Amino acid sequence: MTTAPEIQKTAHANARWDAVACRGVKKHFGEGDARVEVLRGVDFGATLGEMTFLVGPSGCGKTTLISVIAGLLDPSEGKLDVLGHQHGELHGTARVLFRRRNLGFVFQQYNLLTSLTAAENAAVPLIADGVRRGVAVKRATELLDRLGMGDKAGVMPKVLSGGQQQRVALARALVHEPRLIICDEPTAALDHKTGESVMQLLATAAVAPDRAVIVVTHDNRVFHHAHTIAHMDDGVVTHIESIKH
Amino acid sequence: MIGLALQMLRADRAKYFAMILAVALSIFLMQNQASIMMSVFAMTGSQIRDVSEAEFWVMEPDTECFDQVKPVPASALYQVRGTEGVSWAVPLTKIDGYARTEFGKLSVVTMMGVDDASLVGLPPRILKGKAEAVRERGTVMIDPGGANLLFPGEKDVIGKRVRIGSESLRVVALSDASAPFTGFPILHMARTTTLMLRQAEERDTTFIVGAYKPGADVAAVERSLRERFGLKALTAEGFMKSSRDYYAAQGIPLLFGLTIVIGLVVGTVITGQTFMMFVKENSRHLAVLKVVGVTARQFAGMLAAQAATVVFLGCCFGTALAAGTSELARELPFLRGVFLPGWVAVATCVALAAVTGVAVMVSFRTIQQLEPAAVFR
Ligand SMILES: Nc1ncnc2c1ncn2[C@@H]1O[C@H](COP(=O)(O)OP(=O)(O)O)[C@@H](O)[C@H]1O
Ligand SMILES: [Mg+2]
Repeated sequence: MTTAPEIQKTAHANARWDAVACRGVKKHFGEGDARVEVLRGVDFGATLGEMTFLVGPSGCGKTTLISVIAGLLDPSEGKLDVLGHQHGELHGTARVLFRRRNLGFVFQQYNLLTSLTAAENAAVPLIADGVRRGVAVKRATELLDRLGMGDKAGVMPKVLSGGQQQRVALARALVHEPRLIICDEPTAALDHKTGESVMQLLATAAVAPDRAVIVVTHDNRVFHHAHTIAHMDDGVVTHIESIKH
Repeated sequence: MIGLALQMLRADRAKYFAMILAVALSIFLMQNQASIMMSVFAMTGSQIRDVSEAEFWVMEPDTECFDQVKPVPASALYQVRGTEGVSWAVPLTKIDGYARTEFGKLSVVTMMGVDDASLVGLPPRILKGKAEAVRERGTVMIDPGGANLLFPGEKDVIGKRVRIGSESLRVVALSDASAPFTGFPILHMARTTTLMLRQAEERDTTFIVGAYKPGADVAAVERSLRERFGLKALTAEGFMKSSRDYYAAQGIPLLFGLTIVIGLVVGTVITGQTFMMFVKENSRHLAVLKVVGVTARQFAGMLAAQAATVVFLGCCFGTALAAGTSELARELPFLRGVFLPGWVAVATCVALAAVTGVAVMVSFRTIQQLEPAAVFR
């Protein structure tokens, strides 16, 4: 890989970062001797209608970056635009409400609530937003049905396989039709076949013209689902490549 | 979110039941102790309250409580009757003695000799027999606790005999006298009968009870009796208070109070600890909810609902248990005065809820400090 084409690619992608745009984002933890620079000037973005992969070695700062994008962590420096909102524009409850209405999350560890059924888990973003429980669960059940989990709607998470739990988590990320979906290593805890089918589902169910999907992964077997791949190393995005479909 | 919060709470059955049980037992302990203490203190005035016609009680200045008395001089009755503002006054004799029965039962008894003509001083309700029957010399009326103690297992005590000293008295009625503080049987009889039992030289009147004229100056009557005749006059309420204070001064409330406080502390510590543990163990789920967009206000509502559910159910069970116990205790002849005042039930529940509120606030802070980004790990 040479430097010149990469920069070209980056410049090309930059123009279309209409969902998320990070420029020179820095983030450190701790102070003094304990200070760790985790993000050291990141330029990264995501485009509506696309699936953007963020890849790189473990510990390079991927999770930190998406936490900053999600508003769960504050950047130390740099500019950040998420769905038309600059960082610093929203605080406290307003920021929570923005996240609740506009963002969906899928985690490596599924993170389903063990005391709720699959449908109730998938309905949580709606219930949190004040949708009546019955209505919310009904909508979640319909979505689970579309994700091939219709028969599991009333089942508790502990009896579901990893792949099934991740589908429920996917339903939870989609149920409120957010404009940005953030997935952190969604297939890392799954075997290849199951992981592939979850990615397949993500590509078909999550990708929409008015929605951007960011997927953190280091599973190169699923790279072919990406529209764009941002490579990250040691706190910076080193190059961005577009994938032709 | 409240519904989901309660679902999360109920899902952790062990903690859910542990918390309800801790609240219930704590409430039971507090209410039971408070109920016994209040009932016992109410008993210190029970025999005064039973003389419902009496507005005032006149006694020797040294008499402080109903159970420790000194008789008044024979002249006292006429002095009271002659005092301005007194409508009527009758003598009442209280003596303690040993009673024996043909079954060989022996007990200290409290005997109340009432004015033969008016019968003022008899308990308000008679369960068996006729009140007037005691006018016959050598007859008595017995209370349920006494009947049970002196004639165990006997269905009908009417016609049975009690020996006091060398006299044999016949039971002619069963009264519904309130349970006395001493727990001794209470025998009501006419004063002529008590006189049979006394040594000739003893003063034969303990109290003068009576009523004021309408509009009389109570304080003036009391002052007049004190200054002119050296007699102590108290309203019925005042005498009950004096009797209560006499026992209260002996530290009983302190002991009960200690148990009540321990009940509160143990109950809330267990409940609070378990609640905070529940929140800690659920911290990953709570962090997920934080990421998904549950607001601080919603979390506060969720915690409040969870704590309120536990406290409400625990208080219901605890109160039911305490009320049931005091109902059962009421069946025992000597504890028939036990009761659970409504305000005690409410106050104990409020106290427990208030202290549990602290656990809710601590848990709320725990959630506030949760790092939502941690759910990615
Ligand atoms: N809260 C934190 N405090 C201190 N260091 C942190 C914190 N979060 C992450 N880090 C460090 O930042 C680096 C990047 O972490 P992370 O973003 O999780 O990497 P990745 O997701 O790419 O594996 C790691 O070295 C990690 O130890
Ligand atoms: Mg990571």
